[in-house]
Amino acid sequence: MGYEEPVTDYDKIVENCTCAFCGSNCDDLDCLVKDNHVVAVRHACRLGASKIMEDEDQRLKVPMMRNENGELVEVEWETALDAAAELIANSVRPLFYGWSETSIEAMKPGLELTELVGAVIDNQATICHGPTVQAVQNVGYPLMTLGEVKNRADMVVYTGSNPMNAHPRHLSRYTTFPKGWFRKRGRYDRTLVTWDPKYSDTAKLSDIWIPFEENGDYEFVNAIRAVLKGKKLKKDVIAGIPTEDIYELTEKMKNTQFGALFFGLGLTHTLSKQRNIDIAIQLVQDLNKYTKWVLLPMRGHFNVNGFNIFMSYEMGFPYGVDFCRGYPRYMIGETTTIDLLNRKEADVFLVIAADPGAHFPSGANMHLVDIPVIQIDIHWGPTTELADIVLPGTFIGVETAGTSYRMDSVPLNMKKAIDPPETCREDEWIVTELLNRVKKIKEASK
Amino acid sequence: MKQITLTPKKFSSIALEFDELILDEIYNWDKADFDKYMVPIGNSRFPLNDYFNIEVKGSAQGPEDVKMVIDGDAGRVKYIGCKMSAGEIIVNGDADLQAGAEMTGGSLTINGNAESYAGREMRGGELTIKGNVKEYAGTSYIGEWRGMSGGVINIHGNAGKQLADAMSGGEIYVKGNCDILAGIHMTKGYIQIDGDVTRWPGGQMKNGTIVINGKLGRLLEGFESEGIVADPEVDGRQLTGRYIKYKGDIGVNGKGTLLLNAEKNRSLL
Repeated sequence: MGYEEPVTDYDKIVENCTCAFCGSNCDDLDCLVKDNHVVAVRHACRLGASKIMEDEDQRLKVPMMRNENGELVEVEWETALDAAAELIANSVRPLFYGWSETSIEAMKPGLELTELVGAVIDNQATICHGPTVQAVQNVGYPLMTLGEVKNRADMVVYTGSNPMNAHPRHLSRYTTFPKGWFRKRGRYDRTLVTWDPKYSDTAKLSDIWIPFEENGDYEFVNAIRAVLKGKKLKKDVIAGIPTEDIYELTEKMKNTQFGALFFGLGLTHTLSKQRNIDIAIQLVQDLNKYTKWVLLPMRGHFNVNGFNIFMSYEMGFPYGVDFCRGYPRYMIGETTTIDLLNRKEADVFLVIAADPGAHFPSGANMHLVDIPVIQIDIHWGPTTELADIVLPGTFIGVETAGTSYRMDSVPLNMKKAIDPPETCREDEWIVTELLNRVKKIKEASK
Repeated sequence: MKQITLTPKKFSSIALEFDELILDEIYNWDKADFDKYMVPIGNSRFPLNDYFNIEVKGSAQGPEDVKMVIDGDAGRVKYIGCKMSAGEIIVNGDADLQAGAEMTGGSLTINGNAESYAGREMRGGELTIKGNVKEYAGTSYIGEWRGMSGGVINIHGNAGKQLADAMSGGEIYVKGNCDILAGIHMTKGYIQIDGDVTRWPGGQMKNGTIVINGKLGRLLEGFESEGIVADPEVDGRQLTGRYIKYKGDIGVNGKGTLLLNAEKNRSLL
């Protein structure tokens, strides 16, 4: 990584923008704008900056449809929207997936469309923190805001996540390095702990690294809970960790003033899935008998939490909500995206602000090859290769203002910094147009 | 006695939902009623007789007089026997998700494999699966603290992950092997597994009994050994042989009982 000269050639600075990358939603970014392009971003991490600064060569700019040769060709907005609405209106098992990189404002007509056609609506939680949501429904949510952690935490534990790579400003802005009201010396007033089988970049920074064996998370946490209940451990090594280390860690956790446990997909997607989170939450509840402890999932996309909050508020279920019988139903494994695709149930797939082509298992993607796929997105990606209709949206937080929810469930307004390309349309507008057109088709068929 | 026979004739990749075909509701249906019935598939309804040849013989005064036979593969038919309270259903093939979910009585026999959530929140009756069952058999609904609370589930093959999650009553017998976390959050009831168990049965269990006659891969530290017991009796069930008896899960101040076959689990002695 070489030295880069600071950018000095810009027309204006748009201050306090909110980053549209990870769930940290850093809202202190300054976008440097020249000729309606973001030429530099101050305060952002490399991941956030590279996403915000436009990559024009990959940008979807015009609506497209596949012709008889299977090639995507430019069409008028009217043509693309009508064709998409026709597909949605006539499908038997439509599936609307994504939503985590768009605004709450775009989700509203999306939910109305879902109800109208009896579709399934789901977001990226289905392949990331879905198990977390299930566990929260079972055993509660000892939540806090990141501001509390900044001001109070003297022990910070990361498990199953590597924020130094995935949420680069998490430690510096919220948890470990910043000086807080009760942590005047910042990093020096805190103990950083990583529980992870891998010696990750976050583990390298940590004061304590607990390398439990892969899939050993449930057993490891179960042992800590047993120690908290006064049990003398019988084995010498549990889940790859020497027993004396478990005693020592438990004592440290009991004697801290304010502890915060952050966990990622390393916990949600190992062997015990939602039960890892379930037992981690219960560990936090146990620790609260001794001192103050809180817990928070490291959410990935900048509005993945927003979708879960929005859906829970509107429908009572957080993701994978099925309206096929006219009322909302929710059953993991039955109404969730991967299962519907693996079972070859979905017959039309609308994807907004997500790239399943890059992230889904091959079986699920194989089914996407066989059914019509409608893509609403800003960038060309593997999903575009699968798409039959492409509707170019706008970049929330850069080209369009909107609401998102940070990983600690704090709602934030994302500012607009530049104008979108003239040929693109806002996500909210596109979904509303689809809704209106499907309504007309349904009314005509009556 | 009335017998309803549904013989599959057409496959639908989108699952058919049988939650309306509860014997309590359809015991007095004749062939014409079935012929005009539209079964939910996705967001639409289609004639049931597009997918099944339907035969109805005899008459019934109530659901207890009805026997329904699905004579073939029902691997894309969800909710078979869901909420049934009486009568008999036999599936001569596989069954899809939620077979026997919330059933309160009667019997459901699947002469094949069952998908996930078989016997979810079952409160009575008997569910027999002659093949294997996938995940979450006899479990609770997401977020619910009470799973299966009554009745019997017999699994002749293997059982998947998190069998009997939050079980609060009833009995489950597994003749084959079982995957992780059987009886997690269990508060009451009886689980007997004759085959091997991968790891961590009874995680966070508060009460109830789990008997493992095969070999256990890994035991949680939250269980405390109470020594060897010979030919133990559990709520009137007489077991034969020597068992290692554990109490747990200590992490939740649990008083559940875990009995492990001592001969097969010598390494734990």
